Amino acid sequence: MKALQWQGVNKLAVGTVPDPELRNPGDIIVKVSRTVTCGSDLHLLGGYIPFMEKGDVLGHEFLGEVVEVGPDVRNHRVGDRVVVSSFIACGNCWYCDQKLFSLCDNGNTNPAITETLWGHAPGGCFGYSHAMGGNAGSHAEYIRVPFADVGAFTVPDGVSDDRALFASDSASTGWMGADLGGVKPGDVVAVWGAGAVGQMAARAAVLLGAERVIVIDRLANRLSQAEGLGTETINYETTDVAAELRERSGGRGPDVCIEAVGMEAHSPGAHFGYDQIKQQLRLQTDRPIAVREAIHACRKGGSVFVLGVYAGFVDKFPLGAMMNKGLTVRGAQMHGQRYIPMLLERMAKGELVTEHLATHVMPLDQAPEGYRMFKEKEDDCVRAVFIP
Amino acid sequence: MARTKTILMLAAPLAAGAAIAAARSRAARKPDESGRRHVVTVFKPLSELESQQLPGSLREIADGVEITLRAAPAGRGTEIAVRIPEGSSTTPGEVRRALRETRSLIEVGDVLLPAGPPTTKPTLTNRPLQKATQHGREGGLL
Ligand SMILES: NC(=O)c1ccc[n+]([C@@H]2O[C@H](COP(=O)([O-])OP(=O)(O)OC[C@H]3O[C@@H](n4cnc5c(N)ncnc54)[C@H](O)[C@@H]3O)[C@@H](O)[C@H]2O)c1
Ligand SMILES: [Zn+2]
Ligand SMILES: [Zn+2]
Repeated sequence: MKALQWQGVNKLAVGTVPDPELRNPGDIIVKVSRTVTCGSDLHLLGGYIPFMEKGDVLGHEFLGEVVEVGPDVRNHRVGDRVVVSSFIACGNCWYCDQKLFSLCDNGNTNPAITETLWGHAPGGCFGYSHAMGGNAGSHAEYIRVPFADVGAFTVPDGVSDDRALFASDSASTGWMGADLGGVKPGDVVAVWGAGAVGQMAARAAVLLGAERVIVIDRLANRLSQAEGLGTETINYETTDVAAELRERSGGRGPDVCIEAVGMEAHSPGAHFGYDQIKQQLRLQTDRPIAVREAIHACRKGGSVFVLGVYAGFVDKFPLGAMMNKGLTVRGAQMHGQRYIPMLLERMAKGELVTEHLATHVMPLDQAPEGYRMFKEKEDDCVRAVFIP
Repeated sequence: MARTKTILMLAAPLAAGAAIAAARSRAARKPDESGRRHVVTVFKPLSELESQQLPGSLREIADGVEITLRAAPAGRGTEIAVRIPEGSSTTPGEVRRALRETRSLIEVGDVLLPAGPPTTKPTLTNRPLQKATQHGREGGLL
């Protein structure tokens, strides 16, 4: 079958790979009908997560049709239209029982790498390096989905492919940031990053009753999309973010700060050069610009949720502000299984709209070009969707 | 430890660099660890585990090691601890794999296999990571 393969740092190509097979009795095979770029892939492309092999298939946000089911699968049949959580979880371990699905004890076949890096191993993810299980990704005609009864969800008839697709990763990630960040009615919420993840976090905050939701980015088209979701915006290139947030929150600072930028953050200030050089020299693995800003801006006793992906160590982490202001700082890879059914319901009711994120739709053959546009944010690309 | 250090050094010029440094400084001040037990918690009450035999992988190495079971607090299940006695031929890697597989067998009834067939080839640059991940459940800190 055809698949988009990682060929080296910043090198992608569409090649031919063997069709996936059922490996465990709880597996299904899905014929992919939509699969999409994610900001997380850029960290793989750029070589910031160095556990890729030449030939690995990328992609973890997808939707498709069930074409084969393993003997233990109960919830799915051939022909079902399913959207699949990007993280792979068993549904039976203590972490799954606590609904912390991305922390599953049994979802990663290579726990040694992340256990050594981080002390304990989170679960596995599709198309996200051998540190996350080496699972073949969704930028292909077919994909094997393990623990299908837990991670694959039948899409209700009233929800289009183009909308349901984003329940797979960006919408569930964004919702998690607002939910576990503790957004309550009346809160002022600030969201750094107006990519698909940031927009979905902002929309979740609106739906959870926040009084004001303020999205921060520099890309005009993304900011105007965010405004369409019922939020306010700040352009960090033309505005002093900290001062603006202070003013818009009655001097208190936002109650909840959600960071949806990640380790390749950009900044107009002098610290960008500093962080980039340190990252390139491997003195730090990540650029935590937005996290620093969020911790500094957050109100006393408030909460900061880190959705952006980080791999290792950062420099100049504002521990003093965190400790003295009594903040709660939390992060996670997405617990998709916890949110996808609810998100599909909200999509069916029209509360959660996502189609606008798919700014570029193209055949899988053009995926390398799609990634280039997504990476450069060319032609206002927010997400490139591939049709295998 | 030795195996995971190799994984990181071979596979990872980047993020892992810092992790290696951290692992090295940990190793440097490490006291004698030979009697250390390898422990996992499985999400099943002790009462249910005692009544059944330990599954597969752990049973295979049971003769060469000391296994103790103990109830974990607050409904977290059962702690399974394995100590390799002096002179045993069982390796820490075998114990880690056995414990991880056992946890999955007890909790899920199955052990997740990697996706396949592989989409990568054993090229010069791929080989180190491939070698490491063939034994993905043997390394780590457990
Ligand atoms: N936690 C999870 O499970 C999970 C899931 C999906 C994605 N992610 C991560 O979330 C992050 C965002 O993902 P995405 O797909 O929306 O990415 P994206 O690249 O499309 O968007 C990132 C946005 O951040 C903006 N940005 C850069 N520097 C900024 C700064 N200093 N302040 C404010 N905005 C800034 C960029 O202009 C861009 O619009 C990535 O790090 C991704 O890896 C995490
Ligand atoms: Zn993603
Ligand atoms: Zn689990």
